[in-house]
Amino acid sequence: MSTTTKSNAQLFMDGILKENPIFKLALSMCPAVGISTSVMNGVLLGTAVLFVQVFSSCTISLVRNYIHPKIRIPTYTLTIATWVTVIDLVLAAYVPGAYKAMGMFVRLIVAFAIITMRLEMFACKEPVHKSFVDAVGMGLGFMFGMIVLGAVRELLGSGMLLGYDVLGFKPLLFFVLPSAGFFVVGLMMAFFNWIEVAYNRRKEV
Amino acid sequence: MKEIMKITFALTLSCIIAASAMGLTFTVTAKAKKHNHHMNVQNAMMDLLGFGADNPAPSDLAFHSVYRYIVEDGDEKFLGYMVPVEKAGQETYEIVFIDLDGNFVEKLEVPISSELAQEEHDRGKALEKALPPPKTFVYADASVIATAGGKRLGYVLPGQFPGFRTFIHTLVAMDPTFELLGLEVMEHEEDAGLGAEIEEDYFKNQFKGKTYERLKTLEVVKKPLPEEYRKYLERDKKKGEVFTEEQIAEIRQQYKDDDIYAITASTISSVAVTDGVKNLAKKFAYRMDKLDGVLKKQKIRATF
Repeated sequence: MSTTTKSNAQLFMDGILKENPIFKLALSMCPAVGISTSVMNGVLLGTAVLFVQVFSSCTISLVRNYIHPKIRIPTYTLTIATWVTVIDLVLAAYVPGAYKAMGMFVRLIVAFAIITMRLEMFACKEPVHKSFVDAVGMGLGFMFGMIVLGAVRELLGSGMLLGYDVLGFKPLLFFVLPSAGFFVVGLMMAFFNWIEVAYNRRKEV
Repeated sequence: MKEIMKITFALTLSCIIAASAMGLTFTVTAKAKKHNHHMNVQNAMMDLLGFGADNPAPSDLAFHSVYRYIVEDGDEKFLGYMVPVEKAGQETYEIVFIDLDGNFVEKLEVPISSELAQEEHDRGKALEKALPPPKTFVYADASVIATAGGKRLGYVLPGQFPGFRTFIHTLVAMDPTFELLGLEVMEHEEDAGLGAEIEEDYFKNQFKGKTYERLKTLEVVKKPLPEEYRKYLERDKKKGEVFTEEQIAEIRQQYKDDDIYAITASTISSVAVTDGVKNLAKKFAYRMDKLDGVLKKQKIRATF
């Protein structure tokens, strides 16, 4: 029983561009504003979200016919929390290097709106392979958004990219502070909407 | 009514499944996780003592842990130091009671190997046997003493103190004269890009080489970190900058008595770490002094 008519490729690209979690859906704004101070943070948090999203989406999709509709939200939260804990423990035990860099981000994820939202909107209705594609698209879309934000803020705030000194000076420390996150997210949203509008207009002509 | 039973059952079942999944993962990974943590601490200790690839540690380098307990006996309160001693060629422990003025009260044997003693649970069990009921004890902290060639190389103190967000876990290393050998931040949840900079070389290396006298009055100053000092502090990580021996000695001489330069826009984290290290080091130096005095007077032959 599938309700979506979109092809896999469409689903995948929607997550990255047309329904980008940060710039289009405006979900999970707390991390987008709080953590996106550098490109590396974006990559790490994006990777963590990608994995949790994929595992949770697949799990929910697998058991979608057995979830009692009245308790679906607690079930989603439980699923996400379980996967977060499992990933956290496994990383800590077998990939200590990655854990040192990512541990903090993995634990943050339990409360991310984007994951719950994808479970509610998509995975609880669609078969596993579609949910998987959707989850990968959304995860990468989130990562893409975080990296773009991180690049802007890192470059303008600390004059660096990926930890390398690019500019040699710090243009505006303000961009590293949490409040600047709102401005950068807002401007990026406007920018992406503008691109979409321009693109659609050209198609019409 | 039927509906609510169904919901209750479904939710309970989901919770049981989730809990089993988490429990199973925990059981499987617990050992490896603990091992990683242990290795992390070991590596950090070696780093702090200045041993690494280009300066291999002496083969007889050994770490001895001293555990401090607060012991209550009726109305009286003592400090109980679990000190490693050698008996018949094996390392075992004795607990030495010192009253609050720093005078020796008594000592008892605590038969436990140094390996088992690392586990708080096992240590507690051994202590329960050694200390009969009217005495109660509460674990306070541990410190590690590094020795090689029959001499003390330094002390490593694990310590935690509140930062801007949550607790900051650190290791502080001191040489036998209580001069700081270095600081390592093990765990923290400060803000990325701001307070999280406490783990960067340019901040934590500022503590290196502060003498005990200087440490007592160490403050945080809100002044920009001089550029050459920053390069000097970061010279291990960033290979680009090359310093000659003389330059290093010169810069070191120039800045060694400076206060700690605060991290830009993160004064609270900077002050928290500085005060935390100061406190940790001062209290330890005082206690170690008292303990050493008692050990000497009572002719307790500790392994360090």
